[in-house]
Amino acid sequence: MNGLIIRTVAIAIVSCIALLPITWMISMAFKPAAEWTTAAGEISLIPKNPTLSNFVYVFTGNAPDQVVSLDRTVWGPLFASLLTSVIGTLIAVVCGTAAAYAVSREKINESIGLSLLQLRIFPPLAVMIPVMIMWAFLRMIDTWWGLALIYGIVTLPFSFWLMKAYFDELPREIEEAAIVEGCTPFMAFRQITLPIVASAVASTALFIFILNWSDYIIALLLTRKDWTTIPVYMNALATAASGQLYGAKAALGLIAAIPPVVLGISIQRFLVRGLTFGALKQ
Amino acid sequence: MSEVASRRTTSISVAQDNVSAEATLAGERRSLAKRLLAPTQLLLVFIVAFPLCMQIYISMTWWTPLDGEPWYRAYRSWVWFLNYIDLFRDEALWAAVWRTVLFVLISVPLEFFLGLIFATIFYEGVAGRPFFYSILLMPMMIVPAVAGYIFFLMFQQTGPVNAAISIVYSGALDWNWLNDVNRAFIAIIVADVWQWTPLMFLILYAGLMSVPDDQMRAATILGANWWDRFRRIALPRIKAVIVIAIGLRVIEAFKIFDPIFIMTSGGPGVATESLSLYLYKRTFQDLEWSYVAAIGITVLIVLSLITGIIIAKTTAKPQAATAEPVEQGRAV
Repeated sequence: MNGLIIRTVAIAIVSCIALLPITWMISMAFKPAAEWTTAAGEISLIPKNPTLSNFVYVFTGNAPDQVVSLDRTVWGPLFASLLTSVIGTLIAVVCGTAAAYAVSREKINESIGLSLLQLRIFPPLAVMIPVMIMWAFLRMIDTWWGLALIYGIVTLPFSFWLMKAYFDELPREIEEAAIVEGCTPFMAFRQITLPIVASAVASTALFIFILNWSDYIIALLLTRKDWTTIPVYMNALATAASGQLYGAKAALGLIAAIPPVVLGISIQRFLVRGLTFGALKQ
Repeated sequence: MSEVASRRTTSISVAQDNVSAEATLAGERRSLAKRLLAPTQLLLVFIVAFPLCMQIYISMTWWTPLDGEPWYRAYRSWVWFLNYIDLFRDEALWAAVWRTVLFVLISVPLEFFLGLIFATIFYEGVAGRPFFYSILLMPMMIVPAVAGYIFFLMFQQTGPVNAAISIVYSGALDWNWLNDVNRAFIAIIVADVWQWTPLMFLILYAGLMSVPDDQMRAATILGANWWDRFRRIALPRIKAVIVIAIGLRVIEAFKIFDPIFIMTSGGPGVATESLSLYLYKRTFQDLEWSYVAAIGITVLIVLSLITGIIIAKTTAKPQAATAEPVEQGRAV
């Protein structure tokens, strides 16, 4: 019993340490400009005069405590993040599921799995030069379809390996029974197998959405102005007159952080599987 | 299909009919599989085959986008392997590689041991397990770029880190973390450990949960202490899980870019410049695209060799390494 209390207290302390930086950002997001930087002695975790003006500022471009108005509000980047992440997720999940089924059932081209894994091993900056040239040539720099396409490709390894693990677990006999009843192989795949793995597809899609939403570097390299995503917009946010906009950036960070945290917690039973490409199951 | 139908009418034995029907079915299945695989193969060719050729081609020239020439005319400044020879003498590059390796060697073991400790505490039992579990996973779910900004705030001169240290050491502290050569590096490691210890915890905890309960309980009854139980029973069973967890983190930590870019941009000077940051600066500040392409190809070759060796070693003993975690996981 004593041990249980000690362990719980230890974990509670660790949880506080885990939460402190997040709390600090949330607090910063609600602080007025006067409280953004304070002397070390007067630092406070809770805003003394909490205000929504940081959020008002990034959403409307104007706020009472800001002299300069923003020439771009967060609406554009928010829409860009959402659209490119969703389309990228669709590309990855559709292609990955189809390919995983083919490899799992017919054992053709099994090396494709390793080729896909290689996409995740190399540092993006070591292989981005030709991609940037190609994207420029195809007029896909700073477009939503260009960004969505590359998101779909870089998350394809996850959807392929995750779905392959599910298909491998599924007995072949189910489809064979359907085929004996007169289904074509494609009908068996669409009407029998896919509904069975539907929830797995959903978890995979949410997981991949989080990955796409969390990207920074690809959006930094392949967008300029119109389709920058929230993290890129956040880091670039500064006006010549006011310098660092600590509070406004914290508000943006909070907006960017909410969807992955909410989705991540809702699929936390799936995370072990997801992060290890389906190698471990929980 | 018509062939099958005609055979039926000529009343060849039923057994033979089945054989040919099965053959058509197998053919149909195969063609379906090929069609399902096509989009992925197409995307792979699009993103691997063509860009790889282009990168090798450019890496043998001195082409930069400043030339005003399209990339396919890069042969006009053909230099063979000069870029590759240059990169072996590029001290800034090797310093960045060494810095990245040092970063991996410090942060990944830290994350591993902290994650293992938390996982063990969790395994031994805590009150309110699901609640604390969700909270401990949270740092991992924060967008890495946002995590970088969070720690940029935390390590400001007037930030909470200095305030917290001031409480312990009486007297106000105004360390400028991100502008100091050593402290900036520490700050980067702290940010990485904060964000990725949860990943280690998550995977190792899942591994520990797959260790059979009855064996652990039997060992406890027989008087084994915590360390013995861990070393003799749990450790051999979660070896593969440990390899996966550390492998994933090493690969990701080696690629680190977002948090460093946002916290220090590699500064002060080059104190926190990782390989990715070095490549970024060479690409966008110096616009030496052909040189970056050559470094990229070198990185590709080195990493392929390393992963190739590791994969060859692990698949040589499939029972010991790869097959086990799957089987264990199902028991959970």
